[in-house]
Amino acid sequence: MSLLLDVKNLNIEFHTQENIVKAVNNVSFSIKEGQTIGLVGESGSGKSVTSLACMRLIPTPPGKITSGEILFQGEDLLKKSQEEMRKIRGNDISMIFQEPMTSLNPVFKVGEQISEALMLHKAMTKKQAWARTIELLDQVGIPNPSQKAHAYPHEMSGGQKQRVMIAMAISCEPKLLIADEPTTALDVTIQKQVLELMFKLQEEYKMGMLFITHDLGVIADIADEVVVMYRSEIMERNLTQEIFKKPTHPYTKGLLACRPSLDKNPKRLLTVSDFMTEQGAEKEINKELLHPYEKSFSFDEEKNPVLLEVKDLKTYFPIKGGLFGQTIADVKAVDGVSFQLRKGKTLGLVGESGCGKTTLGRSILRLVEPTQGSVIYDGIDITSLDAPAMREMRSRMQIIFQDPYSSLNPRMTIAETLLEPMDIHGIGENKKQKLDKAKWLMNKVGLNANQLNRYPHEFSGGQRQRISIARALTLNPEFIICDESVSALDVSVQAQVLNLLLDLQEEFGLTYIFISHDLSVVNFISDEVGVMNAGKIVEMNNADEVYHRPQQEYTRSLLEAIPKGIPNEILF
Amino acid sequence: MIEAIMKKESALNKMNEKTYLIERSKSLYQDAFERLLKDKAAVAAAVVVFFYSVIAILSSMGIIAADWNTEVGPSYSPPSASFWLGTDIFGRDVFTKIIHGTQVAMSVGLFTSLIAIPVGVILGAISGYYGGLVDELIVWFYTTISSIPSIMLIISISLIMGKGLVAVYVALGTTSWVSLCRLIRGEVMKHKNRDYVQAAQALGGSKLRQLFKHILPNVTHIVIINASLQFQIAIKSEVILSFLGIGVQSQPSWGTMIDDAKLELVGRGVWWQLVGATIAMFIIVLAFNILGDALRDALDPKLKGKN
Repeated sequence: MSLLLDVKNLNIEFHTQENIVKAVNNVSFSIKEGQTIGLVGESGSGKSVTSLACMRLIPTPPGKITSGEILFQGEDLLKKSQEEMRKIRGNDISMIFQEPMTSLNPVFKVGEQISEALMLHKAMTKKQAWARTIELLDQVGIPNPSQKAHAYPHEMSGGQKQRVMIAMAISCEPKLLIADEPTTALDVTIQKQVLELMFKLQEEYKMGMLFITHDLGVIADIADEVVVMYRSEIMERNLTQEIFKKPTHPYTKGLLACRPSLDKNPKRLLTVSDFMTEQGAEKEINKELLHPYEKSFSFDEEKNPVLLEVKDLKTYFPIKGGLFGQTIADVKAVDGVSFQLRKGKTLGLVGESGCGKTTLGRSILRLVEPTQGSVIYDGIDITSLDAPAMREMRSRMQIIFQDPYSSLNPRMTIAETLLEPMDIHGIGENKKQKLDKAKWLMNKVGLNANQLNRYPHEFSGGQRQRISIARALTLNPEFIICDESVSALDVSVQAQVLNLLLDLQEEFGLTYIFISHDLSVVNFISDEVGVMNAGKIVEMNNADEVYHRPQQEYTRSLLEAIPKGIPNEILF
Repeated sequence: MIEAIMKKESALNKMNEKTYLIERSKSLYQDAFERLLKDKAAVAAAVVVFFYSVIAILSSMGIIAADWNTEVGPSYSPPSASFWLGTDIFGRDVFTKIIHGTQVAMSVGLFTSLIAIPVGVILGAISGYYGGLVDELIVWFYTTISSIPSIMLIISISLIMGKGLVAVYVALGTTSWVSLCRLIRGEVMKHKNRDYVQAAQALGGSKLRQLFKHILPNVTHIVIINASLQFQIAIKSEVILSFLGIGVQSQPSWGTMIDDAKLELVGRGVWWQLVGATIAMFIIVLAFNILGDALRDALDPKLKGKN
C-alpha cells in the first residue's frame, strides 16, 4: 500500500491582536490507501486545525502555516495554487463536518446539493448527476431516495442529514475522507448506524480516512491507527489495539480512564491530572482510585425520605393550524410520567433526543407549565402554587443547563451572576456577606475566588459549567436538575465536572435528577435510572438492574448501540 | 444544609481578606471601546461628530452665529476673505447661517432620537417578551403606522401643531421608531429562550427582572448602532422637509438654504449657499454612517475575534 497522505513536521500559528498562538506544533503522521487514522484530542488541541490544513482551509490571516509539508499522493499541497486546490477539494479529498444542521444549505433541496458537486467535479449532465445522486442516497441508507432527494434539509432528521453529508462527501469518490467529529451531535443509536455506514463505504470505495474525535471510544472499532494530540502536539501514535492495551503516554492513559464505563466504575472518575502533572510529567497513579465502587441501592427511611413525587405528569404543546389558528393537535412531549425520588439520591433519565426528557425536567420546575398531573415536592403540590409562593419554592430546587455558553448572561460579571439570586431571595445581610458566600462557592466548585469580576467569555467551557453549578448552589437548594450538564464538555473535563457533582452531593446531601443521552455517564452518576421514549418512562429501576438486566426491548437497543470501544479488563 | 456547612467552615477558617484581591476585568463595552479606538476612520468620524456637537451647543447658547440675521455686506457677494462663503440675498453671511443650520440639524437628530428610541425599545421589548395578544396589538400598531406614507403623517402633524421645529421633532420622532421596534422585538424573542434567562426564572427572578436586567443589556448594542444611524436619517429628513417648505420656519437650516438656492443658481449663478449647506450636511451624514458601521463591528459579539 502506498502512502496517500503524509504530513511532515507541520507547524501552524494563529496571530491574534495580543500574541501568537501555536495551534499545531511539529505534527507528523501519514495515511496509507484504504487506511483509517483516528485523530484524538480535546477541544483546542489542534486536531481540527490540522485537518483543515490538509484541505488548505485555514483562514489566513489570522492563521499561518509556518513550516512543514503535506504530501498528498507525493505532491505537496502547500505549494499548490488556490485554483489547483479547488479541484482537489471535494474531488480527491472531501470532508464531513460535525454539525449536519449547519453544513447543509437550507434553501436548496438535498438532491440539488449533491448533484451540484457531481456536475462541477465530474462534468456530468444534470440528468446523469441526478440519477447518481439517487444512487448515492440509496447507498447511504436514506429510505425512498428518489423522493427524499426533493426534500429540504429541515425536512430530515439529524441522522438523515449526516447521511446526506456523507453521500455528498463520497459523491466524487474521493481518495481521502476527512471526518471531523461526524457523530458527536447524534444520538447513540444513530451514531452506531452512521459509524457502520462510514466503515462500509470506506471498504467499498477503498478510501483513506482521517477520523477526528474527542472520544476514544468512538474510534476503537473503526480506526487502524490512533494519533493522540494534546496542546498542539502529538503525544502518542500507535495501532489502535496497542493504544488500548498498552497506552504509553500518561495523557492517553488519562483519556482512556476518564470515560465512565457501562460496568462498575471507581467511586470518582480518574482524570488526566491523576496521570500527568501540569507540566506533562508522568505521575504515579494511586491504585486505590482504580478500585471499582459498589453502589448501595438501599435507603434509610429516616435519612432518605421521599423528596419528590411526580404523579401522572403530562405536558402537551398545542399545534396551531387551520384558518383561525385553533389547536388542531397536541405534541405529547411528556405523556403520563410518574416516579418517586428520595432525598440524597440521583435519578438518571436517559433517552434519545426528542423523547421528552428535557421537557420533563422543565415541567417539574414549572419552567414549562405542565398540562396535567402533579409534582409533589416535600409534601407540597407545586403545580398549584401561585406566583409568589412558587418564587419562594424556587430557592429549594435548581437547574444546571447543557450549554455553558448560553447559560450565563454575557453582560454580567461572575460576581453579579452569583449575587443576583441572593438579592432576589434576600439571602445574606449585607453585600459583604453575600460576596463572602460567592467566594466560598467559587472555591467549592474549584475556581479561583479572585476571578469574580471577570466576564463569562474569559472562562473555558468546563469553568463556565462550574460557575453554573455555583450559581445553582447560591440559594442552598436541596434538589438540582442537571439537564445534559456535561454533554457539551470534552471527556476529560466531563469527568472533572461529574466528580464535582458527586463531591457536592456527598457534602451537602443534594438530590439530583440527571438528564443525559449518554448511558455510560448516567450509569456512573445515578442510583436509579429511568429510560424515556416518546414522552413515557418505559423502564425504571436501580442502575445495575437497568444496565445488566434490561427488561425492555428499547433499553436493550440503546445499550447495544454504545461503542464497545474500551473493554474494562484492559484498563484495570 | 449548604448554609450550615458554610457557617461552620467560615468559623473554622476566617477568611483572610488579603488573599482575595479581586481582579478587575474589562467589560464588553470597554472591550468594544478599545476596538473602536483602533479603527482610524471611526475615530475621525467621532471627532467630526464631536466637533459638530460643540458648534451646535455654542450656537444654541448664542455664543457663536447669533448674528446670522444681520446684514453684513452687499447682496450676493461671492466668497472672499471677509465672507468665506459669500452672502445671501439680504447680505447675510452664508457661513454664519451654516453654523446656525448645524444647530438646527443636530437638535433634530437629538430630539427625534429621544422620542423614537424609548418608544421603539419599550414597545419592542414588551412585544417580544410577553408575546400573545400584547404582541399582536403592538405589531398591528406599528404596521399601521408604517403603512401610512410618512410624509403624509408629517404633513398632518405639522398642520395640527403648526409649522416649525417642534413639529419636525414630533413628526420625525413618531414615524422613525418602527424599524427599531421591529429589531428589538426580534432580538428579545431570540434572547427570551436562552438558557441564562431560563436560569434567571429558575432562580425566582420576576418577569421584569428577566426583561430589564437580563435581556435588555444584551440588546443595548443594537440600540446604540441604531441611534447613530437614526441620527443621520433625521438630519437628512429635516433637510428634505425644509426644502419642501413644511419644516423649519423663519430661521436658517441647511434645507431652507438649499431651497433658496433653487432660485439663485439659475440666472444669477449664485452657487455658494447650495455648496456650503450640502457639504456641511454631507460631512456629518458620512461621519454618522462610518461611526454606525464601526460601532456595529465593535459591538457585535458575533464578529468578536474575527479581525
